[in-house]
Amino acid sequence: MPRIGVFVCQCGNNIESTVDTRKVAEEMKDLPGVVFTCSYKFMCSSPGQEMLKEMIKKHDLDGVVVSACSPHMHEATFRKACEKAGLNPYRCEITNIREQCSWVHPDKTKKTGTLKSMDLTRMTIERLKRNRPLKTISMSVTRRALVIGGGIAGIQAALDMAEGGIEVILVEKEPSIGGNMARLSETFPTMDCSQCILTPKMVEAELNENIKLYTYSEVEKVDGYIGNFTVTIRKKARYVKEELCTGCGECWEKCPYKAESEFEMELKERKVIYTPFPQSVPNIPVIDAPDCVMIQKGKCGVCAKVCGPKAIDFEQKDEFIEEKIGAIVVATGYELMPNERFGEYGYGKIKDVISGLQFERLASSSGPTGGRIVRPSDGKEPETVVFIQCVGSRDEKKGVAYCSKVCCMYTAKHTMLYKHKVHHGQAYVFYMDIRSGGKRYEEFVRRAIEHDGAMYLRGRVSRVYEKDGKVIVQGADTLSGTQVEIEADMVVLATAMVPRGSAVELAQRLGIGYDKYGFYNEYHPKLRPVETVNAGIYLAGTCIGPMDIPDSVSMGSAAASKVLSLFAKEKLAREPIVAHVDTPVCNACWDCLTACPYKAIEKEGIRDREGNIVRWHAKVNEGVCQGCGVCVAACRSKCIDLAGYRDEEVFAAINAF
Amino acid sequence: MEKELRERARELLESGEVGVVIGYGWNRRKRRTTPVFIRKPEEAERLVFNPLCVNNLSVYLTRKYPDIQKLGRAAIVAKGCDIKNIVVLMAEGQLKRDDVYIIGVRCNGVVYRQELWQGELRPEIMPVKCHNCDVREPHVADTVVGEPVLFTPPEEPVGMVFDKIREIDAMSPEERWQFWMDHFSRCIKCYACRQVCSLCYCERCITEKNMPQWIETSAHPRGNLAWNLIRAMHLAGRCTFCGECERACPVNIPLNIINQKLVLVVKDAFEHRSGYDPDTHPPLIVYDTEDKEDFIK
Amino acid sequence: MEDKKTEEGWEPKIMAFVCNWCTYAGADLAGTSRMHYSPNVRIVKLPCTGRIDPLFVIKAFENGADGVLVSGCHPGDCHYTSGNYHARRRWIVFKSLMDFVGIHPGRLHFSWVSASEAIKWVDLIDRITEEIKKLGPFMEYRGLKK
Repeated sequence: MPRIGVFVCQCGNNIESTVDTRKVAEEMKDLPGVVFTCSYKFMCSSPGQEMLKEMIKKHDLDGVVVSACSPHMHEATFRKACEKAGLNPYRCEITNIREQCSWVHPDKTKKTGTLKSMDLTRMTIERLKRNRPLKTISMSVTRRALVIGGGIAGIQAALDMAEGGIEVILVEKEPSIGGNMARLSETFPTMDCSQCILTPKMVEAELNENIKLYTYSEVEKVDGYIGNFTVTIRKKARYVKEELCTGCGECWEKCPYKAESEFEMELKERKVIYTPFPQSVPNIPVIDAPDCVMIQKGKCGVCAKVCGPKAIDFEQKDEFIEEKIGAIVVATGYELMPNERFGEYGYGKIKDVISGLQFERLASSSGPTGGRIVRPSDGKEPETVVFIQCVGSRDEKKGVAYCSKVCCMYTAKHTMLYKHKVHHGQAYVFYMDIRSGGKRYEEFVRRAIEHDGAMYLRGRVSRVYEKDGKVIVQGADTLSGTQVEIEADMVVLATAMVPRGSAVELAQRLGIGYDKYGFYNEYHPKLRPVETVNAGIYLAGTCIGPMDIPDSVSMGSAAASKVLSLFAKEKLAREPIVAHVDTPVCNACWDCLTACPYKAIEKEGIRDREGNIVRWHAKVNEGVCQGCGVCVAACRSKCIDLAGYRDEEVFAAINAF
Repeated sequence: MEKELRERARELLESGEVGVVIGYGWNRRKRRTTPVFIRKPEEAERLVFNPLCVNNLSVYLTRKYPDIQKLGRAAIVAKGCDIKNIVVLMAEGQLKRDDVYIIGVRCNGVVYRQELWQGELRPEIMPVKCHNCDVREPHVADTVVGEPVLFTPPEEPVGMVFDKIREIDAMSPEERWQFWMDHFSRCIKCYACRQVCSLCYCERCITEKNMPQWIETSAHPRGNLAWNLIRAMHLAGRCTFCGECERACPVNIPLNIINQKLVLVVKDAFEHRSGYDPDTHPPLIVYDTEDKEDFIK
Repeated sequence: MEDKKTEEGWEPKIMAFVCNWCTYAGADLAGTSRMHYSPNVRIVKLPCTGRIDPLFVIKAFENGADGVLVSGCHPGDCHYTSGNYHARRRWIVFKSLMDFVGIHPGRLHFSWVSASEAIKWVDLIDRITEEIKKLGPFMEYRGLKK
């Protein structure tokens, strides 16, 4: 027979004014298994908790029901008190007779509230009779972290974690870390040169002993759970032995073949053996295999001939590396929406219509023109430049519904850079709204307009076409209510920021959520902005949504601090609200496995003595399971149950109804 | 056709490709057919196929029959409708495609009541599923035997089951309740519906779970209702409307109506038809963010 | 049966299966905001609507519920990302089935109530209590022999 104690809280007058708590306590006394009941002024107060502990000991209680406020308020308080009195904390259940009873049923005769409180308390008692003591799950932690993406957010996260003394593996898809920030010329609102502030961090990441860099690599597979992940990294064949290469540059000097430079956004060509940009980290080239005549046809091999340390290896294959880690920071960044979608702006057809990032390259002193702003078509200095904002952003029909957030600012910056370099030039900006929230941001835009004379026209552009070597821009100026036609030399499109093309695939590999565009979902958009639903996986930067450099850096640091605090504990403890499989009756239909939102269910084979698998069943990985119970409802034979919410407990509550 | 069937079965057994051929044979008085399990090549002569071959033999491929599984890889004689169940078993991980050799038989329809069978197949004596059959030409098989069948099912399904569903849909809740309670109250909890169903393959049926006892096991209207609701729910999105449960029911509960109703609901809501694609998950364990929710307030 | 329906003082018993994160919190908020609603509902808290088995509903009716409410997070808001989507699929079929066997639609309700929708919760409970009061005690189910 159980020995249950029922403690009914008056909560001063909060409960007592509409619930006769003494009567509730009195009524519960007669239920089988209940050995002690009482009504008390403030159960959550120190004397209240002391009394609870005392009664547990005095009456040798093996279960406690506290009928008081919402479990969201004080469940943890009472469970802790029970634990101190030597009772398993999960043998303490709360009945909500305040938020869901006394406060919402203002019957001063107390009839309604008392009746409902008795019903609810009885249901909790019956439920408690069926529940089982649970033990907090404790798990070991591998104190190493993986960062996916070597842009500024990923670099910041890696550096902070490495500073904190943990080993970090930084995986970057491109041959060099740096990300999109490496492409930028100056940065708003301070106008400091992007590379000048970024490259020291890149070098720091390379030199930090705690950071292991995998460039030209991708995450192929992720297994495991918080504290205990195993990732497989595909290290793509570079055709250059990293340990031998000194980065002298002889090979790319002599390579006779050329291809479009991805880094320079088609504004320049690069060699077939190349580093993306001069400050690349690591400063080790890769051979672009599809364009390499040696790899494709077996002729050439110039690079190998000129290479002093004999680092070129045409036979190199992709390598697969397995790493054990405890946490993952995802910082895969963004790309621009393909401009070709917007035919009316002539991108791709008219050479002098370029994207914002291409303009960054033109303005960058390390860019294809050495910082001279010129027309891609004829290399002439443009005297009139039209900037079109919200290309794809805030355009549900052809683009995306959201605002890309940084374009207003960088367009203002572009007009300034342009004015600073082409003094007699005139910039026009077609905009929908100017969104310049942020420290010193509004002042920055005002400066572009007032000091550097950018003409801001509120309205949309309807057509862009080429005529006599000029780019004609037709649009509306809705403030003056007139149609405008501008004979421009160059047009710059502020195109929407979108997640990487491979973002969804990676999300599915990681088991994290994403929105309809492919941006990753935070655990909670306000209160847990760098966490994901998959414990141990964190987010930083523009893979979450459009944001600027300061925000990306902050999130990188935030994610790092989350990982550091996770790793600060000896063992990971977690709520034992997880599913369990009654294996002998499992049908191995894998419904649970398909339905599980967390990939927490695995197939487990039972082997005979010869090692042959004789039957299969489902197995719950306690580290990954979040306790939602979707599998329990999906299981037809009811061989899965959820600790804390077992069928028996729910059943008992319904039966007591 | 039978010659072809026996030939194929003999070859399979002789070559050792399969350990058993599950098929149909005559009963002693040659009035009905009965499941036969052929293990020796010379016994392949016993195999028959005719419109009296109504049983859905796929049930013998399930974990309910470990003894049959021990006989080795199985070949099964299966009509299109039976193959649908095999496909669901594959979709649910109960069978791998290679675990079974499907001898698909082209079928012109079957006859449930052998006394009506006089050697000629007439539409009036065929069950509803045959009138709407789109798999008379077996859709998943290792080999197909029989003469090609020329039959196009009607665009809108026809037959008594569908008429009855429309009739019940038009009733008031009280009338529906009365209709079903009249039927369910007859249930004797013999579980014949479950035993004959190849998709009711659970190691432990929910009715046998007693901690807690979700479904009252004695035969009384309240427990009968719970059983029939849960049976229907557990088959929702999986049932292929093979009709075996209703055929097996000794008290004639019109299970086909309730099964087909849910087949229609699932088809309408999730565009899912069970038994066609072994790689598609059963619809109730997946979801679409755009699922209809007009009833959720 | 008829006189029971009109019996003085009869109050419907409504069982609500709600998720911990949205509807339960929404119901708490109604209390914190000192809103008032009909006292007929008894809540059973579950982690997620995805945990709610059709059997719970059947059991509630067997135990004398005159009405059942199932409620959770709005689509897209699920604490467990997709539990409510799974639940919704199950409900689509289950509701059709319950309708088909003649359970009056007024006795089985489904809703999304978020943690901030205290008003919605209050209106919902008042509305379904009214509706079930009109239908009277669920004698058909309770009257089933056992």
